[in-house]
Amino acid sequence: MSNEITMPKLSDTMEEGKILRWLKHPGDTVHHGDALAEVETDKADMVMESFDDGVLEEIRLKEGESARVGAVIATLRRDGEEKSKETGAAQPQGTMTAAQDSGVSATAMDSAASDEPAPAHDSVAAQSTGRVTTLRPARRRRGGDTPVPDSEARPRNRTSRSEDDAADAGNVAATTNGIDAPSPEFHPALSAHPSAAPTAIAAPPRRPVEVAPSSGTEVAVAGEGGKFRASPLARRAAEEAGIDLSHVRGSGPEGRITKRDIDNFLREQQLFKFRRLIAPREGLPGTREELSKMRKTIAHRMAQSKREIPHFYVTVEVDMDETVKLKKSLEATELFEEDISYNDIIVKATALALARYTRMNASYDNDGIVIYPNINIGMAVAIEDGLIVPVIHHCEQLTLPEIARAAHRLVTKAARGGFTGEDLSGATFTISNMGMLGVEHFAAVIVPPQAAILAVSAVKEKPVARNGQVVVGKTMMITVACDHRIIDGVIGARFVNEIKRFLENPASLLV
Amino acid sequence: MANSRYDLAVIGSGPGGYVAAIRASQLKMRVAVIERDQPGGVCLNWGCIPSKALLNSAETMESIRGAAKEHGIEVGEVRFDFKRVIARSREAADKLSKGVRFLLRKNKIDFIEAQGTLAGAHTVALTPVAGKPALPAEAIEAERILVATGSGEKLFPGMSVGDGVMTSKEALIYDRLPASIAIIGAGAIGLEFAYFYQSFGSKVTIIELEKQMLPGFDAELAEELRKSFVKRGVGVLLGHGYKSMTRKNGTWSVTLEAGGVAKSIDAEAVLVAVGRGPSSTDLGLEKVGIETERGGFIRIDESFRTSCSSIYAIGDVIRPPLLAHKASAEGIAAVEIMAGIRAPGFDLLSIPGCIYCEPEVATVGLSEADAKARGLEVKVGRMPFRANGKAVAVNQTEGFVKLVASKQYGEVIGCQIIGHHATDLISEVVLGKTLETTTAELGRSVHPHPTLSEAIMEAALAAEGEAINF
Repeated sequence: MSNEITMPKLSDTMEEGKILRWLKHPGDTVHHGDALAEVETDKADMVMESFDDGVLEEIRLKEGESARVGAVIATLRRDGEEKSKETGAAQPQGTMTAAQDSGVSATAMDSAASDEPAPAHDSVAAQSTGRVTTLRPARRRRGGDTPVPDSEARPRNRTSRSEDDAADAGNVAATTNGIDAPSPEFHPALSAHPSAAPTAIAAPPRRPVEVAPSSGTEVAVAGEGGKFRASPLARRAAEEAGIDLSHVRGSGPEGRITKRDIDNFLREQQLFKFRRLIAPREGLPGTREELSKMRKTIAHRMAQSKREIPHFYVTVEVDMDETVKLKKSLEATELFEEDISYNDIIVKATALALARYTRMNASYDNDGIVIYPNINIGMAVAIEDGLIVPVIHHCEQLTLPEIARAAHRLVTKAARGGFTGEDLSGATFTISNMGMLGVEHFAAVIVPPQAAILAVSAVKEKPVARNGQVVVGKTMMITVACDHRIIDGVIGARFVNEIKRFLENPASLLV
Repeated sequence: MANSRYDLAVIGSGPGGYVAAIRASQLKMRVAVIERDQPGGVCLNWGCIPSKALLNSAETMESIRGAAKEHGIEVGEVRFDFKRVIARSREAADKLSKGVRFLLRKNKIDFIEAQGTLAGAHTVALTPVAGKPALPAEAIEAERILVATGSGEKLFPGMSVGDGVMTSKEALIYDRLPASIAIIGAGAIGLEFAYFYQSFGSKVTIIELEKQMLPGFDAELAEELRKSFVKRGVGVLLGHGYKSMTRKNGTWSVTLEAGGVAKSIDAEAVLVAVGRGPSSTDLGLEKVGIETERGGFIRIDESFRTSCSSIYAIGDVIRPPLLAHKASAEGIAAVEIMAGIRAPGFDLLSIPGCIYCEPEVATVGLSEADAKARGLEVKVGRMPFRANGKAVAVNQTEGFVKLVASKQYGEVIGCQIIGHHATDLISEVVLGKTLETTTAELGRSVHPHPTLSEAIMEAALAAEGEAINF
C-alpha cells in the first residue's frame, strides 16, 4: 500500500498551495524530515518535509500547479513494502519504475488510466533526464570538490527570474513581519522558559545530501553541462551546512547563488519546522503530536537545568528615572547612528556588572568552575513555539553605542535573511526581557551550562519615596537566577545591586 | 514638447544623473535631464577629471625632477608654464563635457539647461539660467523624478573665497602657482592638491583636525601616507583645528589650535578642503514633503525613493561616500528598480574609494578596525610593495596591500592598498568582493609576473598564513 502525501497546511490561513519545485523525484528514497518540495503558500515559499520514510512513488501535482490543502499531491511507498524493480543507477526513469511496479497502488494506476495522467510523469521524466544524476540518493563527500549537478539543467524559467526575486522578497518580508523577527526595539517577548541551547537551535540542518552523482562518468557529464552558478563563498557556506546547492534558489544575476541565498535557505528550513507545529490540526484536543526539534531541545535543556542546577533567585527594584532621562537625552542629541534602547542600556549595565562579578559569567564543570574570558550576552527572543538567543559577543569591549549597533545588526539580520550559527552561539550569560509584555515580576530558568540568567520586567510608574517624599517614579524589577553550586547568595545579591547601581547612575554607562 | 509628460525627469547631469538617464532611455523610458551648469556635473567639470589632469602634470614633473637622478638621466633646468598646466586640465574637462552632451542626444534624452526645482510630485519648475538657450516651458511633468543634484564645496562660516582663499573649484582654475599654500583638511581632495602643489615646488602645509590623515580610513594606511608626505617635504599638522585667518602684506596668517595651544602659519594661498555637503537646498524639497537627514542628505528607502513616492534620489545628495562611481551605480540601480528588473537594496560596501596622490590610495569594504567594531572575526593579510619584484624594478616600493577576510570562510571583507597604481589594482578586489570570492580563489588565481598585482595574491595567501614572498 502506498501512503498518500497531501498538501499540508503550512500556515493557519493557508487554503491552497502551489508546487514551486519538487526536490524529490519518483524513485528517490525519502527519510522522515527530508525536504520534498518547495511550496508557495499565502505567506511564504516554504519547504515541505516528509513525515515518513519510504520511496517516492508518484507525483500527482506538477510544478507550477496548485492544490487545496488536503489534496493528494504525491504517493510514497513505505519501507518494507514491496520493492520496485528498480535496478539502481542504470534505471533512468523513476516514474516508469513506479508505474511498472507490480505492487503499484490503485491510486497510481487510476491516475495513469485517467484523463490527465501524463503531466506529472512528463515533468518528472524531463527532470530526471535533465539532471543527469542517478535516481539513487548518494551522500556527498564532505570536504571534497565533488561537482554538483548542473543548475542549468533544472527546468527553471529564467525569464521570470526577477519576478521570482521580487515575490521572494515580499514573502520573506511577510514572514518576518508576522512572526519570526524580534521586535525592532529588540525587546524580546518570550515565554517563561528563557532559552534552549542556542547552538542546538541555530545548528543548520545537516541532513543527508542527496542527488550528488556518485560515479565518475556522471560527474564528467555534469561538468560539461555547465557549472553551478554559485559564489565561492556560497559554496563554502553550503558545504559547511551540508546543503545541496541544487535545492537553493539563486537571487544573483542569472540565478547565481550567493551567501545570502544560503542563509535564507537555512532560515526557511528552520521556519518550516517551526510552522509545522502551528497547523491547527496539531493543536486539537485529544491528539498527540511529536515535538519539533527545537521544542524538544528546549524541553530537554530546561528540564536538565531544573533537575541539575539548584536555582536561587534574588530580586531588586531599580529606580529607572535616570536611565529614562539618559535615553531621552541621547535621542535628542542624535549622537549615534542607532537609537539606544532600554535593552541596550541593560546589556551594557549587565556587562559591567559581569566584569566585576566574574563568577556570574561562568560554568559549573564537574566539581570545577570555568570562568569565561569574554562576556557574551545572549538575548532570549520569542519566535513561533520556541526561542532563539542571538548573542552580542565581547560585550566587555563594547561601548553602549557599539552594543546598540550589534543589537541592531542582529535585528537587521533576522529581518533580512536569518542568523548565522555564530550569531546564536557562544553566550556566557543570558538576559530574558519581558519588559514589552508589561510583566510586574518573573524569574527565568538558567540556560545550561551558564551559571545565571537575568530576568528583566517592565518599567512601571509607581509611588516611590524620595528624600522623605512620596513621588511618582519609574521603577523596574530585575531578578537574577543563580546556580547555587558555584554562586552564593552574597554574590548574587551584590551582582544585581551592581546592575541597579549602574542603571540608577547611568552616566557611568557612557564612559 | 508635443507629448509633455515624461516617464522620468532627472535633475542634475553629473555622473549620477546622466548615467541614470541613459539607463532609463535604454529601458524605453522617455527622459529629460535638467542641468543649470555644464553637462557632466562636478565630476567632469570641477572634480575628478580636471584634477586628474593636474595630477598627471604633477607626476610628470616629479619624474623629471626627482626620479631622473635615480636613472642616471641628466636634465637641464626644468621650467614650466603653470597657466598651460591649468589650461590642459580645462581642455580635458571641456572635451568630456561635450561628450556627455553627445551621449544624451544619442540616447534621445531631452537636455534642458535650466535651474530645476520641485513644484509637485510630478512637476519640475524650470528657471532660466543666464547665457543658456530659451526654455521650452516653465515646467515639465514626469511620471517619476530623480534628484541627482550632487554636492558642493564646504567653507567655514563667515569665510569667503578670493585673494588666494579657495575651495577645490577655485583651485582648479587658479593659474598662478602659489609660493606657499596652507591646505585645511587631509581628506582625498586636500591630499591630492597637496601632492600637486608640492610637485610644482610650492611650500605645502596640511592642517587636519583629526589625529590622522584620511580620518575614518585604516590607521596603518594613513600613517604610511603621512610618512610619505613628510618625506616629500610636505608639512603635516595633525590634531590642529582651524580658528581664524587674517590677511597682511599680501599673505594669509592662519591661526590654528592644538590641545589648547594657539599657533599660526603664513601662506600665500589657503585651500579649504573640509569636505562637501549635499546640494539639497533651493530644490523645493519642503514643497513636496521630502525629508532630509542630518547634514541635509535626502532620506531614501531601499528603492531610492524619497518620502514623496514619485520622487527618487541618488548620489552625493543622499549619503556618503561622495564618489562619482557610487552615484553612477546608484543611478543605474534606481532606474532598474523603477523598471522592476532589479530587487531593492544597494551594497555600499562594494564601492571602492580612491585617492590619486602619490602614493595612491585605494580601498574597498571594511578596514580591520571597522570589521572588528562590527563584531566580525577577521584575519588580515599584508604584503608590502618592497617585497614585490615589479615595485622594486620600477623603484616604487612605498606602501602595501592589506586584505581583510572573514575568519570563517576567508570571505573578502575589505582591502586597503597604498602604493603606485593602487587605484588600478583595487578593481580586482572589487570584482572578487562582488562575486563573493574568498582568499582561496584570490590566492590561487595565477597573477602575471612581474606585476604589482602579485601583491594582492600574496596578501590573500598571507591571510591564510601561506604567503610565499613575504
